[in-house]
Amino acid sequence: MHRRSLRLRLLVTFGLGAFILSAFFASLTYLGIKHVLISNQQRTDLNQSFANAALVRSTLYTSPPELPNLLNSIEKATNSNVLIQTHNQWLSKSQGAVTQDVSGAIIDAAVKGHATEQTLTFRGQEIFVVGLPIPAVETQFFEVFQLSTLSHTLGILLLLIGAGAILTSLMGISGGLWVTRRTVRPLERVSAAAALIAGGELTTRLVTGNTDREVQQLTDSFNAMVSQLVDRLERDARFASDVSHELRSPLTTLATSATVLSQHRDDLSPVAQQSLDLLVGDLAVFQSLVEDLLEIARSDAGAATVLIETVPAVELVRQSVRSASQHHGIAAPPIEVADDVHDPQVNVDRRRFERVMSNLIDNAHHYAGDAVAIRISVANELLVIDVDDAGPGVPPEEHEQVFQRFFRGRAAHDRGIARGTGLGLAMVREHVRTFGGTIAVMESPEGGARFQISLPFQEGVDE
Amino acid sequence: MPRILIVEDDDRIRIALRLMFEGEGFDVDDAPTGEVGVALFNRMSADIAIVDIMLPAMTGFETCQALRAASDLPIVIVSARDDTADVVLGLESGADDYVTKPFVPEELLARVRAHLRRRPDKSAKAFALGNLQVIPDEGVVRHRDGTELHLTSTEFRLLTDLATANGKILSREDLLERVWGYDYFGDSRLVDVHIRRLRTKIEPDPSNPLYLVTVRGAGYKLVL
Repeated sequence: MHRRSLRLRLLVTFGLGAFILSAFFASLTYLGIKHVLISNQQRTDLNQSFANAALVRSTLYTSPPELPNLLNSIEKATNSNVLIQTHNQWLSKSQGAVTQDVSGAIIDAAVKGHATEQTLTFRGQEIFVVGLPIPAVETQFFEVFQLSTLSHTLGILLLLIGAGAILTSLMGISGGLWVTRRTVRPLERVSAAAALIAGGELTTRLVTGNTDREVQQLTDSFNAMVSQLVDRLERDARFASDVSHELRSPLTTLATSATVLSQHRDDLSPVAQQSLDLLVGDLAVFQSLVEDLLEIARSDAGAATVLIETVPAVELVRQSVRSASQHHGIAAPPIEVADDVHDPQVNVDRRRFERVMSNLIDNAHHYAGDAVAIRISVANELLVIDVDDAGPGVPPEEHEQVFQRFFRGRAAHDRGIARGTGLGLAMVREHVRTFGGTIAVMESPEGGARFQISLPFQEGVDE
Repeated sequence: MPRILIVEDDDRIRIALRLMFEGEGFDVDDAPTGEVGVALFNRMSADIAIVDIMLPAMTGFETCQALRAASDLPIVIVSARDDTADVVLGLESGADDYVTKPFVPEELLARVRAHLRRRPDKSAKAFALGNLQVIPDEGVVRHRDGTELHLTSTEFRLLTDLATANGKILSREDLLERVWGYDYFGDSRLVDVHIRRLRTKIEPDPSNPLYLVTVRGAGYKLVL
């Protein structure tokens, strides 16, 4: 499953949050201001209408013919249209006035002597209509105000508030970015450090001195954890090493005494002979176990004892294979060198390399009836050394496990082989890593197991 | 009967070794310290010595040096650790061979026998190396003025084997087999350290050898 990114989630949350909040407050502000502006305007307009109605009344009393002039001057002065009605007849109106602007409801109310006001949209324009009765002369006064100027103001306001909302959302996103960086970066550092440590860089620590208390706490606990882990590892390694060192002397005495007993084997009863054979056999296992443990302990202890030399690889393999075969008393497998292999030089510790080849050849001997070939080739700019056998092979699920300490595979159980120490391949891998190489197990062309060592190399220069 | 000197501070190991070598028909002298070992050797002599490196007071290295100063006998050191530094230091102190604890007793026996089997190769012809005259049938190397240059038997063997190869290159394992007589797990460091020691004795400038040259990737050869 693809995991969601914390970084992305934080960013989306912050951006969306800021947008929703700012949109909400922007709408609230806009609606509030709009309400206040419109009601202010209407109050002003209403007052204006009362004043205008008084003017109309006095003009109707004194000189009715002056009425159109008055209406026009009112229209000019207040930017509104005035209409006068008497006995359901339009008496007069200003130039821009349109009778349709005034609805029947307002007219009815005014006729009945009620002052009314109404806001309505007519021909796409918002208008505010005021109807006032002038009972003394049985006349109704109507004034129509345009609210369009206000709409313009409100439009600008809407634009400004909208821009503000967008700006706030952007700020939210950038705030999110900042927070993400502050929170995710320490996490990334921790995971990078953990990866390094897992890869064997045990000296890796997080840099302290971060100003954030929480991050500092994380850093401190992480570093403390790693230190404890390293201590523990070192203690374990030291323990194994100490134990093996302590075992050396008694083991030497045991082995030597067993040899002495073997020298006098003929003097022993058949029962004693049999038990002597068991003793000698298991002493050999014990001995290789301690040797392997010591070897691994040395690897764990670090590079202090490693003597890296630049050595011609093909010659080194030939020599190691020969001496390993002699050591184990088995026939040396043929060494096949690919055509594109010229004179590769590898940087290895000779003794450790010999141990590696010795182990692989010994393994092939015990699990697969001897290695069928050692093949040297070049692939991906690495020198590849294959130790191939024609045995039962290693099942895929054990490909990684065989290199673990004290792992005993199916092959060992099937064949009832009890002599392995369970440390050989672990040690082989440690050594190959020391040379900067890798080892893997796969299927050989013969259908058995192939232990493949890949080492960095450089081409030799002729002297 | 071959006489063997065992210098080992661990009583139990020493007794076990004594029993084993006696069982193989050796006359055994054993000593718990280097001082006692050297004193015993001076009184009784021996055909071969086994010296533990980790000794109290007089160290195994010093014991080697003292024994080497007195004799050409083969010395096998027993190292506690398989550290290259330890092994090299031991070989530099005059040892011919080494085993590491816990050693396989049969392997130690085989090595001891191989060293005792070795006899100087007297068939090789005498030859000259610059100002040096190598005379195999007498087993000596002489300066032009007649003074003798002291080589251990291993060094002498190394030199004559390279000489009889007639300018041919000998690999480290060739030399191990010819000089040390092993047909089992050897260690090429043995060869390298002895070559280095030999160079300091016969080369005018050991860091730029004229006669005993390294052939990279192949081994060593002697340029006459």
